[in-house]
Amino acid sequence: MHSWLNEIFIGLSLTSILLMVALGLAIIYGTMGVINLAHGQFVMIGAYVAWFLQSQFGIGIIVGLPLIFIAGALLGLAVERTIIQRLYTRPLDTILATWGIGIVLEQLVRGLFGSDSRYVARPEFLDGNLILAGVHMSYYRLFIIGFALLTLAVTWFLLFRTEFGTKLRAVIQNKEISECYGVSANRVYAVTFAYGAGLAAIAGALITPMVSVTPTMGTGVVVDAFLVVIVGGVGSIVGTAAAALMIGEATAWLSYLLSETTARILILLGVIVLIRFRPQGLFPDKVRR
Amino acid sequence: MNKGFAIDCIGYALFAVFVVLIIPWLANYSGYDLNVYARYLVLGMAAAAVALSWGTAGILNLGQALTFGIGSYIMAMHLKLKASEAQAGGMPDFMGWTNMEELPWFWEPFQSVSFTLAAGILIPVAIASLIGGFMFRGRITGVFVAIITLSLMLAVQLWIISEQRFTGGQNGLTGLAALELFGWSVDVYGLAFYYMVAGCLLVVLTLALLFLRSKAGLVLRAIRADPERTRFFGYDVSTYEVVAFATSAGIAGIAGMLYAMILGFASPTYMGLSLSLAFVIWAAVGGRESIVAATLGGIGVNMAEGRLSDLFFDQWTLILGVIFIVVVLFLPRGLFGLVMDLRIKLESHFMANPISRMNTSLDKHRSETTASQREGK
Repeated sequence: MHSWLNEIFIGLSLTSILLMVALGLAIIYGTMGVINLAHGQFVMIGAYVAWFLQSQFGIGIIVGLPLIFIAGALLGLAVERTIIQRLYTRPLDTILATWGIGIVLEQLVRGLFGSDSRYVARPEFLDGNLILAGVHMSYYRLFIIGFALLTLAVTWFLLFRTEFGTKLRAVIQNKEISECYGVSANRVYAVTFAYGAGLAAIAGALITPMVSVTPTMGTGVVVDAFLVVIVGGVGSIVGTAAAALMIGEATAWLSYLLSETTARILILLGVIVLIRFRPQGLFPDKVRR
Repeated sequence: MNKGFAIDCIGYALFAVFVVLIIPWLANYSGYDLNVYARYLVLGMAAAAVALSWGTAGILNLGQALTFGIGSYIMAMHLKLKASEAQAGGMPDFMGWTNMEELPWFWEPFQSVSFTLAAGILIPVAIASLIGGFMFRGRITGVFVAIITLSLMLAVQLWIISEQRFTGGQNGLTGLAALELFGWSVDVYGLAFYYMVAGCLLVVLTLALLFLRSKAGLVLRAIRADPERTRFFGYDVSTYEVVAFATSAGIAGIAGMLYAMILGFASPTYMGLSLSLAFVIWAAVGGRESIVAATLGGIGVNMAEGRLSDLFFDQWTLILGVIFIVVVLFLPRGLFGLVMDLRIKLESHFMANPISRMNTSLDKHRSETTASQREGK
């Protein structure tokens, strides 16, 4: 009785992390068709900024979140303006270029801070567990679940209730005609990329208390995030959330029933079959392009 | 007979001279250097495998290291068994540590050299045919092919790491014996071994070039330009795609077998994400449209890597990353594209004949339109 509630909670916790990481990627991929393999390195850099703020200035993760978001967004903006911008006509090549960007970022961080793993303390007021129906739920994990939902809501609001969102959706539907109406597609792309990178940095900062921070932590992250985006369907935020929930819960349950490795193998194989029969994803964007 | 093919042939002849004569001279015929260069040739072969499916048929396989790794494990299994003959039951040492009672059945056939050599090619081909059929019958293209091949590779890698009693786990297969071929015990630091590797590479490239020159190669190029139109012409697009995919897997399998011999071990990192993407990047640097250029890309980047890591220690990875970005941005067709553009410029500059000038500009226009159509997807 308690164990399955426990698994559900672990699954939700995994889901919230996956969602935070995948959301930025989903927005970038959905808008520009850019396959950003450097996304994991944006996550890693967010984690390092969080570590730096805490170890140098004593600023906690949560207080530092706006700064971390801005740092990630500025980095994303710089990358978009210098490199990604030139590749919008050849989406498959972005895989290679962003992999190169990832290598460069990883190596820069290694050069600056070394390859030792770093630890970041979680905020003190989130220490401890909430015990509900016999399940121990750490306050920090609950906080992340809440924060992921908040990010999802903010992103939805940004896309569907703001002028920027309207422009963004117009550009996705038809770039040329949007430009005829005076929407600057380049600016929309730049802002979107920066926002996605900022989200990645926040996700990286929030996971620091649960993982060790190393220059190579990004590579594993990006694959999982990518599976979530593809399974969810291109350009669909709801799809991304649903896919994150599915993969998060499946990981928790299969790890509990079988083993962690078997769970991962089964999920990878499941994703392969899913992509084969539903390449458009679970919740495809209904918009005609 | 198209221009790209003529260039390939000239390039191929120069390449053969380079591999057969110049590299051994560069290596001073010394054992260690020859071994290092043999490794570069094998990595070049892996890049050629990527170019065969990506550059020709437009199938971007991010899991190329899967078949490469399987080839290396197959060779390593045979050499491990040979090294363990003196052990109880002929069982490899790591199986003893994990309390295995007897040799698993699927290890048995690898006692035989001929079975191993055949399996190193045929098993990758069979796996690629299955997964290729599964994907291409469903008309999966582009980024979805990339994700499926990538996921499959990661799944197999995880399985190999977790099943330590069968595969040696994270450590891989180490402590291998020397291969024995027709009574010749292969010394991986010898000139003879270098020429064996060079011979394999040249034979594989020759066969691949003949394949690309055949009608099948033409259809594959048509598929790259526009799969839908090729389908309307009545060609069975998915079968051609499976053939290209499986051929490239076979080449990667051969490269993997040689790689395990050169380094003297097989490891799960051989089917890792980093190596797999590195293959793709080498092919892109050399030029994905030509398998010879892609091979040179693999050899060249690795040679540069050897030199740069001596000069700059830790910073070579950084420099390499920057080079990749610059190549993708400014040389989308790789160094091969640069050579082709130069050639067209030179021709139109020196040729007085207005008709041929018009033809070259037409050719140029044509290659540009197909390139932009491809990119438009």
